[in-house]
Amino acid sequence: MWMGQRKRCVIRRTGRGLALLLAAWAVVVGVGGSRGLAAPITVCATTGMVADLARGVGGAEVQVDGLMGPGVDPHLYKATASDLIRLQRAEVILYSGLHLEGKLQETFQRLSRSGRRVRAVTEGLPADRLIRTGSEGVVDPHVWFDVALWSRCADGVCAEFAAARPEAADGFRQRARVVKQELQALDRWVRDRVATVPPARRILVTSHDAFGYFGKAYGFQVVALQGISTVTEAGLADMTQLTDFIRLKGVPAVFVESSVSHASLERIRRDAGVKLGGELFSDALGTPGQRHDGYDLGTYQGMIRQNIDRIVEGLK
Amino acid sequence: MTLIPEFQAQRVFVEPWTTELGSHGLMALVTFLVGATCGLIGNFLILRRMALVGDAISHSVLPGIAVAFLITGSRGVGAMVLGAVVAAWVTHGLIEVISRHSRLKQDAAIGIAFSTLFALGVVLIAVFADKVDLDQDCVLNGELPMIPLEPAVRWGGWVLGPPPVLRLGVILMASIALVAAFYKELMLSSFDPGLARCLGVRVGMIHHGLMFWLSLTVVASFEAVGAILVIALLILPGATASLLTDRMWPRLVWSTVHAALSAVSGMHLAVALDCSPAGATVVAGAGWFVMAWLFSPTEGMIPRRWRRRSAAIDSRPRSSEFGQNA
Repeated sequence: MWMGQRKRCVIRRTGRGLALLLAAWAVVVGVGGSRGLAAPITVCATTGMVADLARGVGGAEVQVDGLMGPGVDPHLYKATASDLIRLQRAEVILYSGLHLEGKLQETFQRLSRSGRRVRAVTEGLPADRLIRTGSEGVVDPHVWFDVALWSRCADGVCAEFAAARPEAADGFRQRARVVKQELQALDRWVRDRVATVPPARRILVTSHDAFGYFGKAYGFQVVALQGISTVTEAGLADMTQLTDFIRLKGVPAVFVESSVSHASLERIRRDAGVKLGGELFSDALGTPGQRHDGYDLGTYQGMIRQNIDRIVEGLK
Repeated sequence: MTLIPEFQAQRVFVEPWTTELGSHGLMALVTFLVGATCGLIGNFLILRRMALVGDAISHSVLPGIAVAFLITGSRGVGAMVLGAVVAAWVTHGLIEVISRHSRLKQDAAIGIAFSTLFALGVVLIAVFADKVDLDQDCVLNGELPMIPLEPAVRWGGWVLGPPPVLRLGVILMASIALVAAFYKELMLSSFDPGLARCLGVRVGMIHHGLMFWLSLTVVASFEAVGAILVIALLILPGATASLLTDRMWPRLVWSTVHAALSAVSGMHLAVALDCSPAGATVVAGAGWFVMAWLFSPTEGMIPRRWRRRSAAIDSRPRSSEFGQNA
């Protein structure tokens, strides 16, 4: 009798413990918390370019957290323990898309299907403006170097924010318009600057294929030593061909990138006897507040201006 | 900005088990599932002197994913995993052929097989897919911190957890079942293939079966948590267990214990330093290995030295006695 009672008690206690554990599991594994209306939208953005766009459109009503810090190559990004928490808590996740984030993109797509607010900012760009590379469905992800095209991404960001806070939608739309105007002004500035380079010299030699959109938008021939993938190295034939090409065309300068090894391009530069036009930003922004020639390199605009100045001065 | 974040006991030790159970706690669970599975197989690999085969497979999957991409034209997970499993299986075949039909030993054969296949992958990509971002880190290898982010599977009213966790759980269960079913054959053929053959065990079949299961497990684990964690957990739990006991059954238990300890301490380390959890787990696992190396009652450096010294002290008085008598 007494034994039976104790047994039942133990069973009941274990049962209750198990139920509690399961409840905790369900709460925690389930959706990240939704916040009150007055609080700013918490946004997690992958690259610096996307974070900058989100800040522009969201203004004071959003709080943007950039996942990949300054100088981080999206191909080599490794998430930390706190990145996970930030992604789980964020009300809106914005990423660049077109496979820039690699396998992470598939996780984002599944999250989006499960009902979270997750969006690729390049979603909805007109297909004929995207650069296809070789086989079907594979698209160059470095859209942000075509400033006019990148400005269109503001619409998607605005739509996502408006859906999250319908009462603030007008503000988002207003700011998205301002951002687009600013970026269109930047686009005109780039065109004016580029016009000072003689057409025959509009050849951009870089280390890896990140400037396809730049070339297409502003009339440059872009020649990259390496393909898009970074496991394959430049072959000897590639290097000789590129050296001959530089000599033949009289290209005055070549450019290295912040995220790719300089060695091979440095060798070609010496062989061809041309100068180094400097380092270009390709897949990440600089440190916020880092100033150079009056530009804030931590912002998209500052990064573009710095790149264009280097390219124009190198090739003029 | 400081390099190492300030240490907060509440955040590092309490929150992963309470408010962050669904993120950090789940991460530790995933690591344990991978570690227990890999540790189980790793014990047999170490006996067969093939501990590095996991590292080899992590490289030799490259031609597999390149060919899978060229055939299907997609970088989706299904095609990539299939290509990787086939490539892993080819790696095993190549290792077998080289080590059987030449004077070279297993280790040299592993080295030749994986470097050749990796190089083949690099050539394939350079020739056919230069304009595509294609390497194992961006199309195959997953990341541990991203698993808790995956939307959870619901069944009826129950939240079961993210799909990779369920997959890894099923793989662990299947591995335990397979090892239990073929325990005798695995043991015999690992320790003494000659005797096993005499007793009628089909040594070749067992070996191929083990390597097939390894290919499957390793590629599925790469897809979930990335390469470095899998490579390390194929070796560290088994190596630690081998320092603690000479018997096979307890070794399997110890390697599981090591996997659990590494998973939990690695997760806490990752939260404390805010670094990559996979890296932190491997560091923690190596730490537990060093502990076993130093303090193991049978094999540990310190107990052994202690025994040798006490043996020397024991023998000294006798020799001096002998001297006095003379």
